[in-house]
Amino acid sequence: MSTPPFHQEARRIGELQRTQQQDEFRRALRALLMRPLMSPEHADFPAVRRQAERLREWFAREAGWPLHVDREGARLFKRPADLSDPTRGLPGYDRRRYVLLCLACAVLERADPQITLKLLGDRIMQQATDPALAARGFTFTLRTASERRELVAVCRTLLEHGVLERVAGEEANFVHESSWQHSDALYDVHRRLLAGMLAAVRGPSTWRTEDAPLDTESRLQSLVAELRVDSEQGHRDALRHHLARQLLDDPVLYTASLKADAQAYFINQRGTMAGRLCEAAGLVAEQRAEGLALVDENGQLTDVAMPAEGTEAHATLLVAEYLAQRLRQTGEPTLITEAEVADFLRNAVGRYGRYWRKSARAPGAERELAGLTLDRLHRLSLIVRDTDGLHPLPAIARFSLGQTEVRARNSDTLSLLESLT
Amino acid sequence: METSSTDLFRHITADKTAFYRAIMDVFAAAKRQYRLQLRPDEVLTEAAWTSTPPGLEEVAQALSQLAEWGNLESQPDTARVSTLSDFYRARFLYRLSRGGEAVEAGLAVFERTLRLRAELQSVALEDIDSRLQALWQLLTHDEASGNGPDVAKTHEILRDLVRVFEDLADNAQAFMAGVARSLELHQADANMVVAYKRRLIEYLERFIGDLIRRSDTIARTLDNLSTRIDPVLLLVAEREARDAAPGNTTEQADETRQRQAAWRERWKGLRGWFLATGNEPPQAELLRARARAAIPQLLSAIAAVNERRSGRSDRSADFRVLAQWFADCASEEDTHRLARAAFALHPARHFSLEVQSEKEVPASTSWLEAPPLTINPRLREYGEAAPRGPLPRVRDRSEERALMARQLAEESRQVEAARRRLAHGRPTRLSRLGELDVHEFGLFLGLLSEALAEQSGPEQAVERRTGDGLLHIRLEPLAMDSQAHVHTPAGILSGRDHLLTISLVQELA
Repeated sequence: MSTPPFHQEARRIGELQRTQQQDEFRRALRALLMRPLMSPEHADFPAVRRQAERLREWFAREAGWPLHVDREGARLFKRPADLSDPTRGLPGYDRRRYVLLCLACAVLERADPQITLKLLGDRIMQQATDPALAARGFTFTLRTASERRELVAVCRTLLEHGVLERVAGEEANFVHESSWQHSDALYDVHRRLLAGMLAAVRGPSTWRTEDAPLDTESRLQSLVAELRVDSEQGHRDALRHHLARQLLDDPVLYTASLKADAQAYFINQRGTMAGRLCEAAGLVAEQRAEGLALVDENGQLTDVAMPAEGTEAHATLLVAEYLAQRLRQTGEPTLITEAEVADFLRNAVGRYGRYWRKSARAPGAERELAGLTLDRLHRLSLIVRDTDGLHPLPAIARFSLGQTEVRARNSDTLSLLESLT
Repeated sequence: METSSTDLFRHITADKTAFYRAIMDVFAAAKRQYRLQLRPDEVLTEAAWTSTPPGLEEVAQALSQLAEWGNLESQPDTARVSTLSDFYRARFLYRLSRGGEAVEAGLAVFERTLRLRAELQSVALEDIDSRLQALWQLLTHDEASGNGPDVAKTHEILRDLVRVFEDLADNAQAFMAGVARSLELHQADANMVVAYKRRLIEYLERFIGDLIRRSDTIARTLDNLSTRIDPVLLLVAEREARDAAPGNTTEQADETRQRQAAWRERWKGLRGWFLATGNEPPQAELLRARARAAIPQLLSAIAAVNERRSGRSDRSADFRVLAQWFADCASEEDTHRLARAAFALHPARHFSLEVQSEKEVPASTSWLEAPPLTINPRLREYGEAAPRGPLPRVRDRSEERALMARQLAEESRQVEAARRRLAHGRPTRLSRLGELDVHEFGLFLGLLSEALAEQSGPEQAVERRTGDGLLHIRLEPLAMDSQAHVHTPAGILSGRDHLLTISLVQELA
């Protein structure tokens, strides 16, 4: 007896719903990977809320990352596996800005539900007079335009992450020498998101003076060191989380960079691991002898796109090809100096210069351009740099494209009228 | 001595304020003890100096300075002395001047107001209640006895009532302001607030209970009194006026009216506190609402304090320590590493574009051996995936336009020439057409295609007017084995021979 049409229909709808659930889960997961501190205004926040339970389980199981979701926002504590990468800080930040950001957060923690830009600036100024900071040579007075610009930049970071929400006014004029005294902005402070700013496992102020970590390395460790279950299973979980964190967050994982135990685990498990991660996050695994990269086909899941449009991106692509070619010639790690890259770009100007922005074509600009392109490649773990120059890393070979033939449109050939023959 | 009133306050803003204040405090204390005047050495011994006691000479100097400003009055001291030096020294006795006294009173009020703690007085409610009851009894008693009201007693009760009520109102006002700013809680130390909370909440609850209980009886008494209070207020006003103004009768009547108005106002205020006037809810109601609202406010403040305490750490302190860690970093690179660990706000970073290959590449293939990316050639060559960019600036194209106009004119001239050559209306064999130039051949092909579209079989003759309606064409196939070759710059067109007639429509007509 055949299934009645009604049941078929019901099954079809059920499947459809499952697919939709799966899509939403994937969308929410990807959104959190890109924005670990998410305000309710984010377009994908409703999806994150609906899928919160599944997401929490998934992140906890695969990467050991805690996820908090409630009405006022979401926070994925993306604790890094690789502490040595200096390319993953806040864009445009330097030491002073980081210090100011910390002070701003310290002020906001103690502030009323609303605050103004000026008041925030004043309170940061008070915090900056802390002898511990003053002893480190840090000063902040708001008197110069550059200091006010720093404050505004910090505010914008907080606005971007939803910690502050602008109610009235505008920061833009605050920098100007003539008008800053008269311009101000009023913000709501969103405590829930503010509480999510610090991702440290253990608060830096909880150390007793005699135990406190004293150098940057131990401080880094103190921020991310988690409690580990001391068992066979606990050890395996830790290894798996370590690898998944890197695979989800970083462009490529080179097997050689892993410690012996992680390497053994990785070689055995990478296939299934990559399969699980890719399935959930909508990525494609590129498995090679040297390592594993999870690739996002449409290029949304990244802050540094390659290939991309624009002069720098184009130059980066060309340099990547050049380096890949060099790597291919030798077939083993090789040192290339920045001057060589600059020379290559100098020569490339002749062929591609007319498509580039003008400032990149000027004589001498190739040095700056080389710096920028290598910076990009470095961010993408395609090269390592040291004082002597750079070493291309294996994954750069995926950009060895060779020559592209762009043919000029040739005149259409005439065909004879068949009917006349 | 002629002094302006501002001079009286100069000692508060002077360099040695504490010193001057210590001296003035001695005089204020003396005033309270009904002592009339003080000698410099008495001031020196009695003052509560904040630091080491000054010399007598210094005190004397300060005293004369204060006398100059008008805070003190001096008169020569005529008491006997026992040494020569004492005799030659200018000796004075000092007392507070009128202005000085006023300044002291003012400062005392000032200080008391600043120290005023927001408090709600349950006791005051009780007092108001009992005063009103007494007033009610007095009036009823007097009425029953047939005499007029006992003005002296009534006056006393009313004065008392006003004093208590003003106290209550002041405190209530301070309380409301205090709660509104939630000043006390924010400034307070966390431990203190937590310890204080039980007491405060109990107190607020008691006050609200009292307010509800008492305000009802108070309101009823007030209501009862309202009908007959006016004559009483008049009598009280008259009594006060008698005291104040010994002038003539019209002045006294004026004074009485003013006093009565003042009393009526106070009474109205009292009523307004406990009884609704028009649509306005009574003040007591507002106070009750505010006091009730203060409890959850207080609780949430305490919750915040508790949250702060019970959290793993004080976040504010965490951020401050973190700021120091950032400041300690040896290089900018280290700050970025620290930022990633501390904030973890970075987005994911992945390569875009997957490697497309026909067959699955084994996992053991090196990147060097694996197929590379396929990238949009445009992107590879020009650095952009699609033409884009800002709109080009508007250019003067008149030259190009002129060139195009010339070319167009030339072209149409040639087309016209071609037409004249072909469309002469005489039947011509294709094989006799001879050599055609580009324009002629273009025209010829166009006509041919239009004609052939009409043809249903290879043996059939076709006749039609061209699409633009200008030419008439007739195409008649010749023998199957005939051959025609048309030489053109693009090559040789060959096929079966036809008889072709092209004529201008105008000429046909």
